[in-house]
Order: sequence, then C-alpha cells, then structure tokens
Amino acid sequence: MRPLLHALRLLWRAERRALLVGLALSVCVLGMGAALLGLSGWFVTAAGAAGLAGAGIAFDVFRPGAGVRFFALGRTAARYGERLATHDATLRALSRLRIDLMRRQAAAPWEALMRLRGEAALTRITADVDALDGLYLRLALPLAAGALTLAGAFALLAWLVDLRVAALVCGGLALGGGLILRRAGRAAFAPSAAAEAGAQALRQGMIDLSRARRDLVVFGGMEAARVAAAAHDRASREALRAVDRVERRAGLRLTILAAALAAATLAAGGALAAQGAISPAVAALAVFAALALAETLGPLRRGAVELGRMRDAAARVMAAPEAPAETTAAAPAAPTAAAPAVPGDGAPASLRVEAVSLRRPGAARPALSDVSLTVAPGETVALVGPSGVGKSTLLALAAGVLAPDAGQVLWRGRPVGPIPEAELRAEIAFLPQRSALVAGTILENLALARDGLSEAEAWAALDAAALRATVEARGGLQSRLGEGGAGLSGGESRRLALARTLLRRPALLLLDEPTEGLDAPTARRVLAGLRAWLPEAAILLASHRGAEREAADRLHSLG
Amino acid sequence: MSRFRRPPPSPAARRLAAIEAPAAPLLRRSARLTAAAALLWPVQAGAIAWAISGWVEGGAPLSDTLACALVFLLAAVLRAALDHRAGALAFEGGDRVLAAERARLVEAESLRGEAAAGTDAPGQGASSAGAAAMAAQKLPMLVPYLARYRPAALRAVVGPVAILAAAAPISWAAALILLAAGPLIPVFMALIGVAAARASRRQLAEISDLNGLLMERLAALPDIRLLDARERMARDFAARSDGLRARTMAVLKVAFLSSTVLEFFSALGIAMAAVYVGFSLLGTLGFGAWGAPLTIFEGLFLLLLAPEFFQPLRDFAAAWHDRASALAVAEEIEAAEAAEPARILGRGAPAAPLPGPATIRLAGVVARGRALPDVEIAPGRSLAVTGPSGAGKSTLLAALAGLLPVERGRIEVAGRRLDAETADPWRARLAWIPQAPHFPDAPLRAVLDPRGTGDLTEALRAAEAEGVVAALPQGLDARLGETGAGVSGGEARRLMVARALASRADVLLADEPTADLDAATAAAVIRGLRRLAERGTTVIVATHDPALIAAMGAELRLAPRTAPEPAEAGG
Repeated sequence: MRPLLHALRLLWRAERRALLVGLALSVCVLGMGAALLGLSGWFVTAAGAAGLAGAGIAFDVFRPGAGVRFFALGRTAARYGERLATHDATLRALSRLRIDLMRRQAAAPWEALMRLRGEAALTRITADVDALDGLYLRLALPLAAGALTLAGAFALLAWLVDLRVAALVCGGLALGGGLILRRAGRAAFAPSAAAEAGAQALRQGMIDLSRARRDLVVFGGMEAARVAAAAHDRASREALRAVDRVERRAGLRLTILAAALAAATLAAGGALAAQGAISPAVAALAVFAALALAETLGPLRRGAVELGRMRDAAARVMAAPEAPAETTAAAPAAPTAAAPAVPGDGAPASLRVEAVSLRRPGAARPALSDVSLTVAPGETVALVGPSGVGKSTLLALAAGVLAPDAGQVLWRGRPVGPIPEAELRAEIAFLPQRSALVAGTILENLALARDGLSEAEAWAALDAAALRATVEARGGLQSRLGEGGAGLSGGESRRLALARTLLRRPALLLLDEPTEGLDAPTARRVLAGLRAWLPEAAILLASHRGAEREAADRLHSLG
Repeated sequence: MSRFRRPPPSPAARRLAAIEAPAAPLLRRSARLTAAAALLWPVQAGAIAWAISGWVEGGAPLSDTLACALVFLLAAVLRAALDHRAGALAFEGGDRVLAAERARLVEAESLRGEAAAGTDAPGQGASSAGAAAMAAQKLPMLVPYLARYRPAALRAVVGPVAILAAAAPISWAAALILLAAGPLIPVFMALIGVAAARASRRQLAEISDLNGLLMERLAALPDIRLLDARERMARDFAARSDGLRARTMAVLKVAFLSSTVLEFFSALGIAMAAVYVGFSLLGTLGFGAWGAPLTIFEGLFLLLLAPEFFQPLRDFAAAWHDRASALAVAEEIEAAEAAEPARILGRGAPAAPLPGPATIRLAGVVARGRALPDVEIAPGRSLAVTGPSGAGKSTLLAALAGLLPVERGRIEVAGRRLDAETADPWRARLAWIPQAPHFPDAPLRAVLDPRGTGDLTEALRAAEAEGVVAALPQGLDARLGETGAGVSGGEARRLMVARALASRADVLLADEPTADLDAATAAAVIRGLRRLAERGTTVIVATHDPALIAAMGAELRLAPRTAPEPAEAGG
C-alpha cells in the first residue's frame, strides 16, 4: 500500500484546502441525510404519542418542523456544493499527479526518456495516471467522510439515545463494513490488477496488429495476431468478471449487514422503550438513523475493488526516480539560476573526448570504441561516417546524458560526469536527431529555452535559424502550433527547435544532423547563421550532408 | 420506461439497440428480478412501522418487535439476494456484448485492406491508436451501461409506481405530495439528460485534454531536459491545467444545478410528507386519509416510503452518463462501419504455398481507381516499378500481395487467379520490405523470422546487418519497440532485407527500400537485394532511386495518374 499512501500524501501536501472542502461538504451530506431521517422518525412518533395522549395542542411542532425542512434543504445545498467541491478537488488532483509524474520522468535516464516517444509507452503511462484518478473520489474521500460521519453519529446517538445503541449502530457499521470492504479489497486485488494488465496487453496487441498489418498478412502472421488479441480480451474480461463478482458480493454483504444492524436496533430500541429507559420516539430516532447511516458504506465498494489496479498504477508511477531535491521542495518552484557563475575557473571552453568506449548492456559489439577528439572554442567539427557508426551516441556522451564505459569526456578540462546537471545544461546545448515541439504559440515554444524571453531575442534567434520569413508569414510569434508542433513542415520544425537551442547561448553546441530536411541553400544559411550567433562556441555536429561538411573547420571520421 | 426515452431514435441509438441485442434475454431476466426486489421495500417499511407503533400504543409484547425485526431482516436479505442475482445477469449481458464487439473489431481491423490512395505507413498512426483505444478503453464503457444504467432505468419506473401503489390506499394526500413531484420528473429527467450529457462530455474532454498535454510533454522530455526546462514546464502545465479546470468548473456549475433541482424536489417531498404526517397525527390536520384519521403505523409507513419514491430517480440520474458514454461509443462504431473500408483477400493465415512457377500476370487491372498496366513477370526477374508520386506504385505492390481487392481485371499468380482462396497460399511464397518498418513488441529473432523457417545468421550476413544486431543489447533477443528505437532508419531497413533473405521467398515486394538513406547504407541495401535476386527470387521494388533502378535490370514506368473509366472507387 505504500505507493498509494505516497500518492495520497502528495495530493494532501499540494491541495489540502480543496480536499478538505470536499470532505467537509461530503460529511455534511451524509450527516444531514441521517439527521433528516432520524428527526422525521422522532417527530412522527412523538407526534403520534402526543396525539394519542390528547396533548396534540401542547406539542411544539414548530422546531421539529423547521428542523426537518432545514435538514432537507441543507442536504440539497450541501449536495450541490459537495459535487462541485469534489470535482474541483479531483481535477486539481489529476493535474497534480500529472505534474509530479512529469517531474519524475524527467529525471529518468536518457535512453528511458527517448523510449517515451513511443505511443505505447505514452498510453501506458497515461493509463496509469488515469487509474489513479479515482484515488481521491472513490477511495480516500468516502473513507474519510464515512469515518467522520460515523464518529459524529456515535456521539449524537450516545447523547440522545443510549451508549449501547450508538455502539451497536456506528461500531457495527464501522467494524463490519471495514471487514467486508477489506476482504473485498483483498479478493479483488489480483483480478483488478490483472484486468488492467489485460487491457493494456490488448491495447498493445491492437497497435501491433494495425501498425504491422501488411507484414503480418504477407508473412501469414495475422491469424496468430488475432488469436493473441482474443486471448488478451478473454484474460481481461475474466479478470473483470472476478472483480465484478467480488464487488457484488461485497454489496450483498454490506446490505445484509446494514439490515441486520437496523433490525438489531429495532429490537434494542423496543427493549429499552419497554423498560422505559427511553421514549418510543427516541427509540424510533435510533432506528431511522441506523437506516440512513448505511449510506456511509455504499460508495466505498467501488474504491475497494479498484485497490489492486490503483496500487499497481501508483507503484509504477511512483517508482519513477524521485525528482531531485529542488523540485520536491514544497515551496513554489524557484526558477533555477539562469546563468550560474562560469565554472571551470576560466579554463578554456573546449571539449575533449579521450578514448571513450560504450557498449550497451548485453550487446555483442560496442556502440563506440576508443574514440578521441577535441573541439576548441570557435571551432566547428563535423562527425562523419555511415549510419549506425555511433555519431548520435558520441553526441549524447558529450552532452553528459550518457556515460562512457571506458575513457572520459572532459569539458573545460573537468570530467562531465560529476558536473551538476544545471551547470552542464547552462553551458552545453544539444539538439538531438528528433526534437519535439509542443502545442501553443511559437513564442511559448521558444520560451522553453529560457525564462523572461523577450520578443526581440526570439526574432534574433529565428533570424539565425533562417526562419523569420516563415514565422512572419504565419502571423508572427503569437501564431499557434497544433499538438506536437503540427502546422510546420519537417524542415521548419527542425529550424524552430534549432532556434530554441540557440537561445540557450551555450559554450558548446552539439547538433545531430541539424539541416535534415532542408534544401542545400537553406542549409547553408542556417549553418552560417548559427556560427554568427555563437562566434565563440565550440560546435560539434553529426552530419551526412555536403553543406554540413563544408561548414565545418574539420571532419572527424568514425568507423 | 418508454416514458424516459428520447422518442426519435438517432442512428447511434439504433446502433446501440443492435449492439445490446445479444444481451436482451439476460437483461430481461435481470429486469424481472430488479422489479421484484423493488416491491420488497414496502414489506420492510411495514415491519418497522408496525414495531414502533406498537411501542407508542403500548401493551405490545417484545416478541412482536422481535418478529418485526425478523421480517424486516428476511425481506432485506431476499431483496439483496435478488439485486445480487440481477446484477450478475446484467454483468453477464454486458460481458457478452463486450466480447462480441471486441471480436468484431479485431476481425475488421485485421482484415482491413490498404487505406485510400496516397496514405502509406505514416497515415496509419491515427487509425491504429483509434482501434487500440476502442478495444481497450471505449468498448468496456458498454458494460456499465448495461449493468448499471439499464437496471436503474427500470427501477426508476417500477420503484415509484410501487411506492405510490402502497401509499395511496392509506392517504391520498401523501400520495398527492409524492405525485406533485411525479409529473415533473420526466421534465427533470430531460433537463438532467441534457445537462449530464454536457457535464460528462466536458469532463471527458477535460481528462483527454489534460492527457493530451501530458503526452505531449512526456514526448518532449528529452528536449526539456536538454533545455533545463523542467521547472518552466511544470509551471506552464500547472497554468494550463488551471485554465482547463476553471473552464470545466464553469460548465459543471450549471450542469449540476439541474440535478440539484431533482434533489430539491425530492427533499421537499420527504419533508412535506414528514410534516403532513406529523400534523395529521397531532390532529391538527384532519384531511388526507380515507375516512378514519391516520394511525401511527400508517404515518410511519408513509414516512418510510417517501425517500424510496425518489431514490430510484436519483440513481437513474447518477447512471445517466453511462448511457451518454455508450451512445458515444455506438456512434463511433456506426461511423467506422459506415466507412466500409476495403478488405484484404484471404485472412493472413499460414497456408501451404501455392504450387507452380511464380509467374505474375496482370490483365486489365483497376485498383483503388487506378488502371495498372498489363504485364507478365517471369519467375526470377528483377523489376523496378517507377513513376511519379501517386502513379500507383504502392497500389501495384499491394495488389500483388492481395492487400486490396481489385475493382476490375485479373491478377494471375502461379497460374491461378489471385482471390480469397489463393491469397494466403500465394503469400506463403512472398516476402515484403515496408518503407517504414514497425517492430512489434516481440524479440527480434521472431520479428526477423516470422515463419520460423530461416537461417538468420546467414541472412544477417548477406544483408550486412550482423553488426546491427551485435550492437544491440541482448542481440537477437532484443525488443525494439514500435518505432525501431535502438536502431537507425538505415539499420532497420537492412534488418528488413535480412528478413526477406531468411524467408526464402520466391517473390520479394519492396516499397522504396532506399528512400532517405545515405549513399553507403543505400548501397548495402541494394547489394542485399541483388543477393536475393541471384538466388532466383523475383524482386519487385517501387522506387525513385536511380542506383536501385539500375541494379534491377528492368523498369516498369507507371504513367502519371489518368482518370480511368468510372469504376466504383473502393474507399
């Protein structure tokens, strides 16, 4: 249960007020419901007794009548408020969980980040946060609201009726209900996790089946793919059936428990009334309250049977590496220092790669072996060599996002490994082969590079990337891009990502095929523009194009 | 129940009715049990009222109370058991519908032919995500509709009527109070229907917008890390999701009002019933009962009936969004089927290879609205299919593999007509190199040798792809994931050549196998194709690449698209 508690604690710390408002109103709804029924039962019974005794005229009808109306209308109003407050809290929780998830994922190892580009990985993560959406609304809220309502009802019943009756009703509901729900949670734990896993397997199977349709048909594998999809479907439905069985059984038990407690209250009330310990009207109050309090348990069974699914999802979401200290601090995110003092004690801003090798785990052949090179300030070096020779890997090593098995990468004469991430990013910029844009304005996309970006700087960077004309034609910096930067051509997206990288004004610029998708004249303009933008920077680029080689001072051949 | 249905059924509603047809017998049985359960509450209410009135009137022995408690409990157990059984039947119905719809979806998706002209692999992204979401996320929404909404809809009719029937013989005034809300309820239901639909749409939209934002940010995480923009991203996400939340809450504030109106009337009804009964018992009110004044038993009985009059209506309102979601799913299914995509020939199952020399002959073929040239390709020939974009190169390859039906004319393979019967046996002799390889979630070994027949070591060597595999973590046991992450585009293409070599196919179809490759890698791919041809395989490539055209020996140039005589264009 630890991952779930962890997720709850996260929500509690961040959205305490919204959660508490929802809880308070939820308790109001349950409490007023019980009060309405209890008071009505008391009122009718007492009125009947007074009528029988001929004391109808002396009976104070005003206060109970007003109370009934108050509770009835108050409950309606509280219900409206509760629905709004809990939805608001849920939406806040949704956003909070997602922000936390992003922070964690952002700290994952580089290769894991690259894998996140796949649709399957993305839908898997979103399915996990979706599974956690019920954490507040279906689990934490009804649990807390039910417990508080029962505690309050216990006090009131003990005061108004009898301690033993109060213990019977509230204790019985809390303990019996707790046991039943606990059992349901346990019984549904494995199947509810399995149902989610089955659904995910089915989703992946369908993606594979659609994406590789031609391969599967031509190589006769479609029959097997259909069979596999059917098996995932069956597995997930069987697990769902088991969950449903547990949920309905829990519902049955809860109903019987509530009825048994109401019946016991009826018997106890009858006995106490017969002894004259309490009036029949007060005994009736207890019976009606017992009937109404059963509502505290109802909403919990859905949450209980989803426990397994939520726990698994929380375990995956929360298992992502803990974000570094600066981001977990409860304080509002302080902008990280934009320009830390230049490190390296004024050592020249040059990159030195010394005999590095890298072999991926379990691979028979190294991705890079024994590579050495130097890039001095103001120098442009192009890495050349056939596809797959390790150009991108070398850039990632230089950027400090991958670590070599042997040899070392030195920046300003210091190994990059121990240099703090913020310092490294302030000095070294890396444009990987595929870079992502986000929905929003062009300015918003550029502003990812730096806080407080002015329009003039943005235009200057667009100039350097030979993109000014395109952006002007689209309507300027405030023109909007669709999801993932949709609306720009491949070459335009590439240049916008380059402009964003340039805004970092790095001392070392690493570019992976920066002019991919551009025609030769544009490619030349871009390469000239970026050198003019960063006259002092060391530039290392991976290239397989003529224009990129021409722009380089030196070629370094790999493989 | 018909009372609450929108009278003119939309196509989505008709579709939904058709979808739930297989569950109809189960749902009917479930409905009968649900209705029977609803009739038990008056018995329970009577037992409690009887016991309490006994205390007030005095003189009743404790055994009466115990007997009442027992009756109450037994009725409650019976009612719970009936509801339990009814729920099981309804779930069973939902499960049956889900199984049937998923099976249909898998069947349709797996047999879908090539999409409309000009959409190659990249265009399939949307549809594959769509089918996956439909199977894993949307179709399951039919289950709560059948298991929750349908019983709730029935109870919303049977429940109030049963309560009225029990209340009216005792007091016409109490029945009137309940009824006062009664005729208004269809109005509320309509209001709630509209408002709840809007609320649930807005909420679903909010979650999907939020997930869209999230997925986009996750996909951009490598950039965000490199730009040191984690905090900027978190602040930006928080600001955007706050905006979304504010807009959603504005809609919900209005949407929840209408269900609050129902709550309001139900609360008012209960309070008025309690006050009326109280005053009657005090003797202040002398009307409403039939003749004799209200007894305490009758008063309590009425009081206990009142909430149960409204409860089913509230349950129904709460379950309304289940119907809204189910209708949305039905609408999507309806739209997908109305599009009637073309189907492949055969079923893509393993088959014994078609016997005879692998001669290919086209005569008067029109596919996807394009006329294809009449040609005969002898076994072992190498042929480059060229022509401007949109001339039908991909269509020709797809037609030869039976991936789309031809609208006119005849394709002959190994002396037989290519049709539903011969397609699978013909494909047992084919290999295929797609332009954008997709790597399923399986070990590379299985991906490269799908028929389990080849010698991978030799094939990898011939395709010059040994090095590619050697650099992978776990080598041939590596799982590359969907986009081939872990290998470059050129490496992926060489792996596909190795697959073709390993398959020992008689005919290879390759779609632009050298597009977007650097010269050295393209040359390696071409050498691999040549080795295949030297073994006697018929190699047919669609290409623009002059080096590849030169290596093939023969060229079939397709003319730019000319409108053929009108044929019923398939998709």
